[in-house]
Amino acid sequence: MSSVFVVDRSGQEEIITIEPGETLMQAISNSGMPDMLALCGGVCACATCHVYIDAAPESVMSGMDEDEDVLLGGVLSRQENSRLCCQIRLTEAYDGLRVTIAPEE
Amino acid sequence: MTAQELSERDYFTDPEILVDPYEYFNALRSQGPICRLEKYDCLLITGFEEALEVWKNPIDFSSVNSLASAAFPLPFEPKGSDISEQLDEARDKFVGHDMVVCYDGKHHTKVRSLISRVFTPTRLKANNVFMHDYAQELVQRVVARGSCELVSEVAAPYVTMIIASLLGVPPEDRVKFEEVIAAGQTVGSIEHADSPTDMTSMNFIAQFMAEYLQDRMKNPTGDMLTELTQSSYPDGTKPDLSELVGLSAFLFAAGQDTSAKLLGNAMRYIVDIPGLQQQLRDDRDLIPWMIEEVLRLEGSSKITARLAVRDTKIGDMDIPAGTRVGLAIAAINRDPVKWGEDANEFKLKRPRIREHLAFGRGVHTCAGAPLARAEVIEIINAFFDHTSEIGFNEAVHGKVGSRKYKFEPSFIIRGLDTLQVEFKA
Repeated sequence: MSSVFVVDRSGQEEIITIEPGETLMQAISNSGMPDMLALCGGVCACATCHVYIDAAPESVMSGMDEDEDVLLGGVLSRQENSRLCCQIRLTEAYDGLRVTIAPEE
Repeated sequence: MTAQELSERDYFTDPEILVDPYEYFNALRSQGPICRLEKYDCLLITGFEEALEVWKNPIDFSSVNSLASAAFPLPFEPKGSDISEQLDEARDKFVGHDMVVCYDGKHHTKVRSLISRVFTPTRLKANNVFMHDYAQELVQRVVARGSCELVSEVAAPYVTMIIASLLGVPPEDRVKFEEVIAAGQTVGSIEHADSPTDMTSMNFIAQFMAEYLQDRMKNPTGDMLTELTQSSYPDGTKPDLSELVGLSAFLFAAGQDTSAKLLGNAMRYIVDIPGLQQQLRDDRDLIPWMIEEVLRLEGSSKITARLAVRDTKIGDMDIPAGTRVGLAIAAINRDPVKWGEDANEFKLKRPRIREHLAFGRGVHTCAGAPLARAEVIEIINAFFDHTSEIGFNEAVHGKVGSRKYKFEPSFIIRGLDTLQVEFKA
């Protein structure tokens, strides 16, 4: 059983069990964490699942496509380690991933 | 009629509730955010937070009855605190069980991953030129005549052609599909209590999709159907043809009625809210804000459903396994606890408007929402481009303040059957 660490906007950390094949957004959303709006449901259209990747395999940061990059381009709180977590498809290799939910815009 | 009498009416069959479902839901709301419909032995949620909790808990709440509705009795006697095995055995008895909207768990995650891959912003953008040109063509044609029946002459053909173009449905077959959909029974019909949702149109479309997909396997093009044939699940396995056929037919049909109805619903606000039409004409950037508020107040989907597969809770309320739950989107989006005391009023740039639940939330959030928004924004712009004023035929619909409309006879869909519109060039 793999898990990821998610820090919410109050700084509280939760450990979430993940299913390979689901996206990080789905995993966080299904865990009931209230900070994850994820309004568009994972079609890269809203940027409300913005997270900062704190510790992760290198492939997480190199997996961004143009649609995601464009969408994040309009986000004021974007950082070098920003990702939209609906675009991160989880595998066993993501065990131990640590992310922080970005501020609301 | 008292609130008590109103709340005792039958939402799933009563034609009077079609006209004003909001009054009915307000009456239910007075009993609390979750109430019981005795006749159907199910729960109905009118509260925003309570609905969100259900939507975001796909582990305990199955989507198997999302088309069948909460009124549809279970095809088995639920036993014990976990009915997931019973449900798996009886899944095929639910209407729409073979469509992604009714899937659960890992199977849903896999198929949903295919949708996320094909419904990308890049792909939608690539269709913008077609959408723009077709919107302009349709609108110029009806404006030249000075009037039209908006639903059948503009909204329905428009949304059909857009999704057909995206998928790669051959132009010669598009009208055929439009006719079959128009002639078919509405989803969630109040006139067919024993079988409110009929799959005939969907099956008709699926036969064609099977042919197209088989053709694209041999002769790939750049369309969405080709991309589906080349897609894989996250674990690297390939979807079988029957899954792709069902998915393609669903993608084609899912947004038809809802997107078309959204245009009619938006027109009612544009025409009838004093000053709004001119305000939008003066500042087109307000059109998306208007659409969001219309989605909240009068989105095209009034209700969906879930089934508790194990003992669970909504807030403090115990929900036993086997409980059918109706999520009354039309009420949830007007919950004063979330939206304030002016929840029933139209308000441009309402704070936190993007959080409305017209497209649901969680793993089943409508993937076509960006397309629906883009379609309606495009065609409203086209209407503003070619008219100086849009109004309704008062001989048919009456005057502002006492309008008369015929609504689609569906407990799921909120929208007009017909809308007679008049234009000033």
